[in-house]
Amino acid sequence: MPENSVILGEDIREQIEEVKEADILVGVPSYNNARTIVHVVKAVEAGLSKYFPDNKSVLVNSDGGSIDGTMKVVKETTVDFASMLVRHQLGGYRKFVTPYHGVPGKGSAFRTIFEIARVLKVKACAVVDSDLRSITPEWIELLIKPILNEDYDYVSPYYLRHKYDGTITNTIVYPITRALYGKRIRQPIGGDFGFSGRLASFYLTKDVWDTNVARFGIDIWMTTTAVANAFKVCQAFLGAKIHDAKDPGADLSAMLHQVVSSVFDLTEEYFPVWSKVSNSEPVSTFGFVYSVGLEPIKVNLDGMIEKFKLGAEELSSFYESFLPTELLRYLGDMAGKTKDNFSIPDDLWVEIIYNFALAYHKRVMSQEHLLKSLTPLYLGKVASFVIETWESTAEEVEQRLEDLCIAFEKAKMYLVEKWER
Amino acid sequence: MKNISEHILTEPLKDFIQRLLAFMPNLLTCLIIFVFGFIAAWIVKYVVSKIANLLRVDRFCAKVGITETFGKVGIKGPPARLLSRIFYWLVLIIFVIIALYTLRVPAIEKLLEKFFLYLPDLFVAALLIIIGYILGNFLGRTALIASVNAGVKFSRLLGKGVKAIVVLLAFVMALEQLGIGRGTVIVAFTILFGGFVFALSLSFGLGGKDIARQYLEGKVKGESEEKDDLTHI
Repeated sequence: MPENSVILGEDIREQIEEVKEADILVGVPSYNNARTIVHVVKAVEAGLSKYFPDNKSVLVNSDGGSIDGTMKVVKETTVDFASMLVRHQLGGYRKFVTPYHGVPGKGSAFRTIFEIARVLKVKACAVVDSDLRSITPEWIELLIKPILNEDYDYVSPYYLRHKYDGTITNTIVYPITRALYGKRIRQPIGGDFGFSGRLASFYLTKDVWDTNVARFGIDIWMTTTAVANAFKVCQAFLGAKIHDAKDPGADLSAMLHQVVSSVFDLTEEYFPVWSKVSNSEPVSTFGFVYSVGLEPIKVNLDGMIEKFKLGAEELSSFYESFLPTELLRYLGDMAGKTKDNFSIPDDLWVEIIYNFALAYHKRVMSQEHLLKSLTPLYLGKVASFVIETWESTAEEVEQRLEDLCIAFEKAKMYLVEKWER
Repeated sequence: MKNISEHILTEPLKDFIQRLLAFMPNLLTCLIIFVFGFIAAWIVKYVVSKIANLLRVDRFCAKVGITETFGKVGIKGPPARLLSRIFYWLVLIIFVIIALYTLRVPAIEKLLEKFFLYLPDLFVAALLIIIGYILGNFLGRTALIASVNAGVKFSRLLGKGVKAIVVLLAFVMALEQLGIGRGTVIVAFTILFGGFVFALSLSFGLGGKDIARQYLEGKVKGESEEKDDLTHI
């Protein structure tokens, strides 16, 4: 076993010994998901039987110490194949249920899954969240087939989402990841992925399992590691993603800190890669892409603008230490505007994000302070975006995001030039 | 007459010259140590400057807000340079003290003894103030950003208040360490701090009664700030 391999429990080792090898592995990380995991396990099992009946498959539930009986529920879940007009898996199917070791978090759960995939020498893997309500057997097909049949190494999910869903992804993570690494992966922090056994083994060689990657940053880490190390990537359209709502009490600034720090941490490691990339290219998309009408949603625009104004005024002296004067002047002007003429243009937003990235890289102050101070500016950008696209269709909004991404790509030299100064 | 002049002038003069001659080696040693001190201080300054640059002290100081704080009180220039200068003077002072000891003048010896006994207290007090400043800056900034993100209107004041309290606390502890007005300082601080908290509670209570009412109503009746359906991730 490699030096950094995780310690698997005796029980799971014995089961692996029995199985010896497998073609496909689907991992389901969990923590107190007894209520929702049954549906996920059923969808996975049905998907494997329906689309890969001749392959030897394994389902791994990597649990973080649930106290609601999640592991027991997974063990006992069975699928009524007859009602689904699906025949039993001929290649063989096994279910492994094991607690993971290491720091608590999705990353540690994934590490156990990668390790089992490595030991079983699987060809293709997928991981899906355990709180999914909308997963269907087709998700397994879409996440696994590009690996097995098309020789891809990494399949990123592409969900059908409302135009105002995933605003951190839309305004920060997608544009900056695309500009830096040159691949148009629309939802790089989606949460459900497909990957080859080769890539799983590669992930295990990385020494990140005691860092924030193990706690909360695994999604963007997997995507970026695959892209930056020249693995063959694609995306699969999975339809809508409906899952348990995140903790409603979760603090936006903490969320922003977690997500953006995960992106920025990776820029340190991969500077030699991304500094050489210019422009971007689309990646293959599998699945039947469709869109549905937009349901009206409630947006508290006044609240967002108020928070932006408060931040621009109260944090101005704090921002002075790393944001250019011209930019600060514009933010100050915006703080005096009403909703009708409130706007944060794309080039200004790009300048803000790149300067935050530079300040994070140069460690001009506590990184947590820095990223939490981004919250009011982010809310300002979201408010500006909502005002601008309120009447737009989903396709028009997508085009608008394309413009934002191009702005990120055009200004990338600014980041590269200042990075090593 | 001759005896008198010998008694009054010649003998004391001889005595003085003898003492001066006896003192000369000490003075010479003192001067040599002093010169060595200069050289040693210069070397230490150079070494500390190199180590500080290697350990990226300037970057760390900027990160925790020390550079900013120094700038505000008029201390310009990179902290690494300041640190090397502090070491320069520290080494020089140590050599000056050693040099003065070699003179073997009882008055100077007594003075130096007192100074040496006081030195650990002085060092601890300086350390307390420095730590207080760094901690005050950090906590002040934490309070500022957290309150801005929570939508609190007077965030900057809150941040400054937190910083002031921490720095004040460190200052009082430093004075306590130095033994300056021990009882008086603690009583003054207690009165000041108690008064500050009381004033703060009063102003909060009076100024924020409507907000508090709205908040409690929201909690009790289930009404709260208008939420939106946006999902950020």
